[in-house]
Amino acid sequence: MAETGKLEAKPVSFEDLIKWEKIKYEAPELTGKIETPCIKENASLSYKAQLYKGKDAIARLGYPTEGLIPNWKEKFLEKMDEMLKKYRSVRLFMDICVRCGACTNKCHYYLGTGDPNNMPVARAELMRKIYRRYFTPQGKLLGKKLTNSEDLTEEMLALWYTYFYQCSECRRCSVYCPYGIDTAEITMAAREIMNSIGIVQKYMHEIVDKAQYIGNNLGMIPDAVRNAIEFVETDLQEQTGLDIKIPIDQKGAEILFVTPSADFFASPHIESLYGYAKVFHQAGISWTMSTYASEGGNFGLFVHNYNNMKIINKRIWDASRELGVKRVVGGECGHMWRVLSSYSNTLNGPFDWLNPKYSIPQHICEFTLDLINKGALKLDKSANDEFTVTFHDSCQVARGMEMGGTASGQYEIPRAVIKACVNKFVDMPENTIKEKTFCCGAGQGLLGDDMLPIRVKGAMPRMQAVKVVKDSHGVNFLALICAICKAQMSKMFPTYGYPMEEVGGIHQLVSRAIVFGAKEGI
Amino acid sequence: MPAIECGGKIINVDDDGFLLNFDDWDENVACMIAEREGIQELTKERMDIIKFMREYYKHYISFPILGSVCKNIHQPKECVSEEFIDPLKAWKIAGLPRPGEEVVSYLRR
Repeated sequence: MAETGKLEAKPVSFEDLIKWEKIKYEAPELTGKIETPCIKENASLSYKAQLYKGKDAIARLGYPTEGLIPNWKEKFLEKMDEMLKKYRSVRLFMDICVRCGACTNKCHYYLGTGDPNNMPVARAELMRKIYRRYFTPQGKLLGKKLTNSEDLTEEMLALWYTYFYQCSECRRCSVYCPYGIDTAEITMAAREIMNSIGIVQKYMHEIVDKAQYIGNNLGMIPDAVRNAIEFVETDLQEQTGLDIKIPIDQKGAEILFVTPSADFFASPHIESLYGYAKVFHQAGISWTMSTYASEGGNFGLFVHNYNNMKIINKRIWDASRELGVKRVVGGECGHMWRVLSSYSNTLNGPFDWLNPKYSIPQHICEFTLDLINKGALKLDKSANDEFTVTFHDSCQVARGMEMGGTASGQYEIPRAVIKACVNKFVDMPENTIKEKTFCCGAGQGLLGDDMLPIRVKGAMPRMQAVKVVKDSHGVNFLALICAICKAQMSKMFPTYGYPMEEVGGIHQLVSRAIVFGAKEGI
Repeated sequence: MPAIECGGKIINVDDDGFLLNFDDWDENVACMIAEREGIQELTKERMDIIKFMREYYKHYISFPILGSVCKNIHQPKECVSEEFIDPLKAWKIAGLPRPGEEVVSYLRR
């Protein structure tokens, strides 16, 4: 047909440039070493995220629904200008990088793929090239050749879409940057700019929409949340023979407990929910979950969209006031902890009605450790003797603000809880834990099935570290405090040849070790 | 729009083969999707899982905890994974719409 002939003669369309295709993947063989790879140009260029086609949801989120909008260049630059003015940090990060290269081999996606665009400096450079061209006097006057910048083209936009969705905003590179450039902020701003011109990623935005308008990432209506939690409660009572409750929407409770919805849906997440309930039961403190604030996770953070983040966070804020609680405790969730502890006050205002005697909010690990230290929780370590445990510091917790009011609480508190529950604990190599921890490889909107090839590559450094302690100490349990880490590692362990059952939550260990009885010390 | 034909009836599905309309389903449709998914036979055990998922969806418009499926139909704790390996296949054969990205990424499969 004549039409087809015409189409073939056309240059590659933007849709083709960012088209998602199923790619076969396999895990590399583990050596226990994390080595800087040789540069492999375009090694992960074909790993794309799927675009979102849910027009109703995209409209609800306030983005264009027709795909890339016709006047996209103009809108792109308008939005970028807005971001540079609104987030002075982003502008600063555009200006101050000296290309020292300290970050180049710190990103798990670079280590896993060898693609130079996954070096944090090169990823950020994708934005800097546009910044220099359109937002600096020299770029505007002299054009791209003399200023090492780039024109805004569809090819450049395709590179943005590809590589800003191969960043999990884990901020490991920032730890090594002598200027403290937070590359995650650059990724977030880039994603928000792309959203504004109709380039909307599927996984994350479908979930943001569900969290905003239904109340949780899984899209469970309140009746479904109630049904799921009641099932867990019944199961727990049958297992223990005790009248352990998981209260829902109970006004006047002392504590509102918020946790990722995966904790009442997925495995091994549910095992930690058993643990939380047992701790609250043994402590004898009244608590409640909420069908309105039925999600701890806040994917608004991933796109840097202040409005999304605010609406999702407000559910927790509103529920805690409505229920009249005195404390808010958060379960095992990485970015929930970051948003709730670092952003909540500026998003929705302070939780004025909560009891200032306790951390606002309080992490479940801090809550549990406090009870252990007071002698109010009796734990039988031998219940976990079949395990040699190591702990993966989740990036959003490890490089978040703090935990328990101490500078390094986010490293020490989870480890202290584990050590109170098990006899055999060993840390992974020093350069892979605490502030230098590696991301699991699936954070910040990369947990979808569409991203499996890059997830496998990105998990490699963490898996190498796991291999080290498996070989040296026979580690057979990886303890986690993040729903995404749990889902990703449950997939990566079998992919790399280890049993899926070796992955679980810290409160899964607590759940096994807890001894019911005396309540002194509360 | 992709579609499958079953007993002369045209049934609309999405790109991944999930039914778009809950009411298009019957046991013949189930058998046909099962075949496409490589599930040889819809035994009573498998059919009980599928029927429970449909009932659950009718009430709660969501994916049930897998353990609760097995408990409700009095089957072993891991019944869905044992019968279908991938729980998402059971959902698809039950004629239910794609359950969403988060559900898919949290299912152990």
